[in-house]
Amino acid sequence: MRITNRMMTTQYTRSLNELSVELNRLNTQVASGRKFAKSSENTSAAIKAFQIRKDMLKTEGYQANVAHAKASLTDAEAALSHIEELMRTASERILFALNGTQSGEERKVVTTELRNIRDQLFQTLNSSTSGSYHFGGTNTTTRPFEIVGGKLQYNGFSLDLPLPADTPAANEALFADLEKDSMILDIGLNTKFDSVTGKVDESTVFGYSIAGINIVGRGTVTIGGEEFSNNLYDLLGALASELESGSYSYDKADALFGHFKTATGSIGKSITVIGAKTSYLEFMAERMADRVFNMQERQVSVEGIDPAAAIIQFESQKFAYTAALQMGSKIIQPSIFDFMS
Amino acid sequence: MSMSPTFLAFHTASRALAASQANIDVTGNNIANVNTKGYTRQRVDQNSISSGGYTQKYGLPMASPGWGVEVSGISQSRDPFLDARFRDQASEKGKLDTILSGLSDLESIFDEASTDGLLNELSNFINDLQTLSQTPSAGDIAFITRTAAQKVTQIMNVYSNQVTQVRNQQIFDLSRVVIENEFNTKVKGIADLNDQIRKEQTYGNTPNELLDKRNLLIDELSELAKIKVTSLPEKITEDLTIERLTVSLYDTATGASISLVDRGLYNTLYVTDNGDRVNVGIASSFGSAASGDITAHFSGGSIRGYLDLINGKGINEFRGALYYRDSMDIFASNFARVLNDLNTVDPLNPKPLFTASGGGAITAENIRISDEWLADATCITTSTYGSDGGDNILRMIAAIDTDTSFYKDAADPSSTVMFKGSFHDYLSGLIGEVALDAELYQNYTDTSANVLNGLYAARESISGVSLNEEGISLMAYQKSYNAAMRYFTVLDEAVDALINRMGIAGR
Repeated sequence: MRITNRMMTTQYTRSLNELSVELNRLNTQVASGRKFAKSSENTSAAIKAFQIRKDMLKTEGYQANVAHAKASLTDAEAALSHIEELMRTASERILFALNGTQSGEERKVVTTELRNIRDQLFQTLNSSTSGSYHFGGTNTTTRPFEIVGGKLQYNGFSLDLPLPADTPAANEALFADLEKDSMILDIGLNTKFDSVTGKVDESTVFGYSIAGINIVGRGTVTIGGEEFSNNLYDLLGALASELESGSYSYDKADALFGHFKTATGSIGKSITVIGAKTSYLEFMAERMADRVFNMQERQVSVEGIDPAAAIIQFESQKFAYTAALQMGSKIIQPSIFDFMS
Repeated sequence: MSMSPTFLAFHTASRALAASQANIDVTGNNIANVNTKGYTRQRVDQNSISSGGYTQKYGLPMASPGWGVEVSGISQSRDPFLDARFRDQASEKGKLDTILSGLSDLESIFDEASTDGLLNELSNFINDLQTLSQTPSAGDIAFITRTAAQKVTQIMNVYSNQVTQVRNQQIFDLSRVVIENEFNTKVKGIADLNDQIRKEQTYGNTPNELLDKRNLLIDELSELAKIKVTSLPEKITEDLTIERLTVSLYDTATGASISLVDRGLYNTLYVTDNGDRVNVGIASSFGSAASGDITAHFSGGSIRGYLDLINGKGINEFRGALYYRDSMDIFASNFARVLNDLNTVDPLNPKPLFTASGGGAITAENIRISDEWLADATCITTSTYGSDGGDNILRMIAAIDTDTSFYKDAADPSSTVMFKGSFHDYLSGLIGEVALDAELYQNYTDTSANVLNGLYAARESISGVSLNEEGISLMAYQKSYNAAMRYFTVLDEAVDALINRMGIAGR
């Protein structure tokens, strides 16, 4: 094959350009720390990278939800501990009053204390954080507990019997709904919906609030032919009234106290539920942190460069480029003309 | 025995001198043009001439020396077969280069390798929905969620506008730059050169420089379209036949040709923009093809590349700008459909979150937040039962994140399902498609460039100037020139002896 001068210069220009393109690519890699600047440089890795980024952002959302649920539960727990403390004080005072040696005057002092405790209970049941009530179930906007006609109501329902008495089944269903009613969050359990009712499948989401009805109790009890509301607030009120009553009966007060003691048991139960939920959230948070860490590692392996290798590649490419440039000054080799006399 | 004329040899010597002179001149011309683009190495066509003449029937055997050398012309060293192969490959590369650059433009619209785009914004929107689900009744969070949704719609608007811009730029390039400016100028240039070359050749001249110019123009034309060059003999006189060069558009699929240039005649092209379809037409002044639409006739060259990018709708054809515009429309309309449906509790009283600005069907270009949602951030339906547990937000999150049917017409669930998957899958699939096409065409282009470089070298190996060769030629012809001069001197001395010294012995 004949080698002509233009062949040599054209080939040289082309090689130099190819070397520059590669040098530029490696330079961009080193500067950006990325394997590819455009998806088309490595499409399959890019698609993988998009998937990882999406999963990471998704997990960020779940982490925020877990943090929110944990904070809410902590607030609710604090409020519940306060209620528990109040009820313990109330029990002590009632026991003190029930002691047969106490006079009517002394019982009256206890009565004032109990009413005071009852008011604090009411306030704590309606406590809220940043505009959300702790114990309202999915009702976060209006005060869950109200006193209507001297009796405690929950989310607008009477705690004695929310619906007409001739519908016992409907009443039970409503009570069950109210007890289950809880704020829910998606923490990555693959949310599902009931195909018939369209309701959220509760096992696929995280319910993180305690409905107040579970804390105070519900229904009525009959003592000596008299009907009493069987919830903490109204029982405290009934006890206070009995203790200050002129026709004070130890037996009646003791029976009320018995129901009151039973009702306070639900506070401990709720605290246990919160504890279980919190530890589950902690477990999830740890798992998510692990997941994020793994995904970060995968992201680096998919998108990131090994800095040492990239710099070595860049340096060796630079060397090739410099060598090509040096050769450039010699590309026009001497021809026969340089030796003619 | 007959004798040759005394002074005949002087003519032989003179022709020898002239031949060497011509060779030295052509060598000089080659050296001068060593770096001239399109220059073809020239050489002197020379042959020896004999005394010839008639022979006598009973003539005696006679030694008759030749009459020296004759310079019959100066020709170019060129291989038409290599030219044809080079031009075929040039039109292939012209097409691939154009497509690659168009795909890079499209890729940079959608790609999120180095920058954040719709994929990222979609994730942000989901996370803002998650935040809203923490406190579904909080107005300020609803406001933030709406802002995130607005960003999603705005990015769709931007994508759609950018695709349209890229397409419009390509239409402009095709019609104003490639066809009106380059293609039409080049066919006219070739026709003009045909005229000039024909004139020169009719006068018996060898217009090598004009041939180089014409070849260069044909090379350049072949980058724009797949062409066929034919050379037919044209008889001028009994003794003179010259070549008649024609250029035609060649469709490799059908084998059909459409005349572009024949002698001094030429046909020009024009572009008509019919919205979703851009056509290339021919204004025929000669040849078999009637004037009109020849869009389907381009099988190569950058014109074909542009047509693919501009008209390609992706179904059984190239995935061009329209494919990506339509794909984004399908994304936008189905995104709106899914969320609008979820936001509407009572079908008789629709509560859309997204609408088309200016009404009509929702596209990526016109999608925006509905007036209702704009007026009230809490227009988003957070719950469908209970007080306000945010179950519907969870429904929306799940709907964005799980598989959806992407209907061709979002308003018509009986229309073709174009894709089944999550919104993320759809988008990353779309980015993958354009990136994969760009990657593929990068490989095609690299391969084509390599082949073209090989052909360039092969052609250069025949037609290019080598300084070593020319230097050796220069020395050789200098020697032959000197030798011819010496021949003259010998003849001169011989004649001098013949005239002045012969027959004067003893005087």
